[in-house]
Amino acid sequence: MLKPALRYLKLAAAYTRLNLRAQLEYRAAFVSQVAAMFLNDAVWVVFWVLFFTRFPVLRGWTVEDVITVWALAAAGFGLANAIWGNAMPLPGLIAQGQLDVWMLYPREVLSHLLLGRMSVTSWGDALFGYVVYIAFVRPDAAHLALFVALTLSVALLFIGFSVLSGSLSFFLGHGGDLADQWRNAMIAFSTYPAVLFDGAVKVLLYTLIPAGFVTYVPIVALQRLSLADAALALAGSVAVLAVGVAVFYLGLRRYESGNLTEMRG
Amino acid sequence: MIATRKYAWLGLTSARSNLAYLAEVAARTLFLGVILFIFLQLWRATYAESGAERLGGLTLPQMLWYLAITEAIILSAPRVSHEVDQEVRTGALAVQLVRPLSYPLARLGMTLGERLVRFALNAGVGALVALVLVGPVPIAPQGLAMFAAALLGAFVLDFLALFLVGLGAFWMEDTSGLALIYSRLTMILGGMLLPLELFPEAVQPLLRALPFAGIVYGPARLFVRPDAAFLADLLVRQGVAVAVFALAVAAVYRAGIGRIHANGG
Amino acid sequence: MESSVVAEQLVKTFVVTSGWGRGRTRREVVAVDGISLDIPAGQAVAFIGPNGAGKSTTIKMLTGILHPTSGSARVLGYTPWRERRELVRHIGAVFGQRSQLWYHLPPRDTFELLARIYELDRPTYLRRRDMLIERFGIGPFLTTPVRKLSLGQRMRAEVAASLLHGPKVLFLDEPTIGLDVVARQELRDLISSWNRDEGMTVFLTSHDAGDVERVARRAIVINHGRVVFDDKVSALRREYLAAKILSVKFQAPVAPIELPGVTTLKATEYALKLEVDTRVTPIERVMSAVLRAGPVADIAIEDPPLEEVIAHIYSRGAPQAPEEVTTP
Repeated sequence: MLKPALRYLKLAAAYTRLNLRAQLEYRAAFVSQVAAMFLNDAVWVVFWVLFFTRFPVLRGWTVEDVITVWALAAAGFGLANAIWGNAMPLPGLIAQGQLDVWMLYPREVLSHLLLGRMSVTSWGDALFGYVVYIAFVRPDAAHLALFVALTLSVALLFIGFSVLSGSLSFFLGHGGDLADQWRNAMIAFSTYPAVLFDGAVKVLLYTLIPAGFVTYVPIVALQRLSLADAALALAGSVAVLAVGVAVFYLGLRRYESGNLTEMRG
Repeated sequence: MIATRKYAWLGLTSARSNLAYLAEVAARTLFLGVILFIFLQLWRATYAESGAERLGGLTLPQMLWYLAITEAIILSAPRVSHEVDQEVRTGALAVQLVRPLSYPLARLGMTLGERLVRFALNAGVGALVALVLVGPVPIAPQGLAMFAAALLGAFVLDFLALFLVGLGAFWMEDTSGLALIYSRLTMILGGMLLPLELFPEAVQPLLRALPFAGIVYGPARLFVRPDAAFLADLLVRQGVAVAVFALAVAAVYRAGIGRIHANGG
Repeated sequence: MESSVVAEQLVKTFVVTSGWGRGRTRREVVAVDGISLDIPAGQAVAFIGPNGAGKSTTIKMLTGILHPTSGSARVLGYTPWRERRELVRHIGAVFGQRSQLWYHLPPRDTFELLARIYELDRPTYLRRRDMLIERFGIGPFLTTPVRKLSLGQRMRAEVAASLLHGPKVLFLDEPTIGLDVVARQELRDLISSWNRDEGMTVFLTSHDAGDVERVARRAIVINHGRVVFDDKVSALRREYLAAKILSVKFQAPVAPIELPGVTTLKATEYALKLEVDTRVTPIERVMSAVLRAGPVADIAIEDPPLEEVIAHIYSRGAPQAPEEVTTP
């Protein structure tokens, strides 16, 4: 049980090292891209600080809580796409038949191919997330440890969601603009506190657009330093990932029978 | 004047080519739908908690329409700085000098056409969404005329700023960082997410003086609350900024051209 | 001799849909129409055919990427589409259009990654890597980023990379495309010698006649999803065109030679180049005619170039009864 996990981690480490080395060949571009994303994220934090200067409380949540949402989302998203950078480009890979090369390696296709690319800007997001949390919220050791663990959970969630939405390409041609908007919606909802939403939308946030596992459950876990809530957050991430993986392999079977809209050969 | 007709024609041609992007409408609707819905929830909660009918002088519907307009302005921004940057680098700029058209004016014509179409698209979609979410806000032909005047000033001003950034290519390795900083400053200091009235009192006069407010906040505010005095004030500010930027562009442009002639292109 | 690749009546039908709603059309395209192969271990096979003939589809089925509509196959004893994870440990692939090498990094880094991917134990990997570096002459540019290498160097590194894990079957798809004459020859020799020395089965797809002649012993030509020829490469030329090119140099000017089935390709005062259709006139008759025509300084009889042969087969198109020859 542990052995395959260890094997995979070694593989992931090798890919991360290589990807980083390849990107650092262009150091200036790397740094500027990271800085640009950092700046981009900072704009939103400035907004929230200004907002909370004028309106100190939002449905019981303070500026720390909302900044934590941002930090968690940014760090989780950043981590996910820095290391598993092929998650978001999945629709393109499927449409252009680029899964073939991955199928010829003696490794699990999905978990292997996800490692094939690194998103440079995501390092900016990751850096931002951790820096902002530490600098703004000034956590103690326990909170920081829990935060880091939760960023891993959020990373899993984003990977799972990307895989899920990306795998639609197996069934709908290039996934279409609909899948793109679905992803945008997920990202948009992931940076606003879930307390803003009621009723049907709230249900949505734990199902079709599972941002609630970024913007509510982990925040509560941090507020109360509660491992139970953290476990719940992780459960949500794992559930999304499981569904995503299932859809991918279902789609892969379709790919293997050659029933995609385009015929290559 | 023949010259204006020439520039106007250039603008119209550019506008027509952009209408081909009608396929974006559906995607844009979904995108703006999600964002404006989230904003609505945020502000609905805020208005409810503060118990006020007006915040920053705006009612809740006015606030949402304000945000829809600011989004449309920001989203319609064309890639002028990048294009100018490229033309400087490839030397295409030097080629333009041979043509009887004055390069910056020609660019302005093209950009205005492009931007007006993109703005119309985004504002149209945003208006539809806002209509569904909060209903209409009172619009009178007089108000629209005021808004149009303010918008034109805003677009010209934004163009000049972006042009200036692009001209940085004469001296800088890469102007995309500068362009990014400019766009983010416009977003945060221009009041894209928060009308200026809700910023801390101390900084409001400064922000009003900056050009960013003239591009985003000014026209959007005018749309939801048409006010002749406000318009007059805005036009003066825009005018001053335009003059300053125009002079800067002329100076930088001449210096850059001097560089081309000195170095032989 | 044991077979490394066996296929039995492989068929692959694709359903191609186009249009939407009511205008939607559904077409069944037969890409592979009953292909059977039997390739013994260590053989070098050229898999030739025009675009759309079903080559890639067949290879995809043999490597387990695609499930056939019907038929069976066993590669190294595995059913490719069912046991792909195990099979791929023992096969290698080089695609001329897509690189395994990381573009911004030196080949050495890609080699390290491959060792990790295939989980090769360190000493075995190092031994094998060093041998490949030496044999393929990669030493000089082992630490140079791939983007700075010439195409020839890149392809050598590419093929070496595909051999790191010791595959028993190597699939090559257009490996010499875009290479200059010298690089092409070098690569062909490397692949050919590897095939001979290591006994590795080589399955080569190429449009280049030189690749086919220099690397492969056996040629399988497919068209319209069927095998139209399956025999030795030398037989390919002899069988299909039944023509010979006769080049002769005379010591004195001679009159032109007129015989049925003989076409004069080139005629100068002292030399003649004739194409002889040996089905019409046996080569001995032409030779006697040549010797009688005048004092001969030099004479050579050659098979026609492979490009011509292949072009001839494509134009014929109709499936012939496949001749199965299993000796390499």
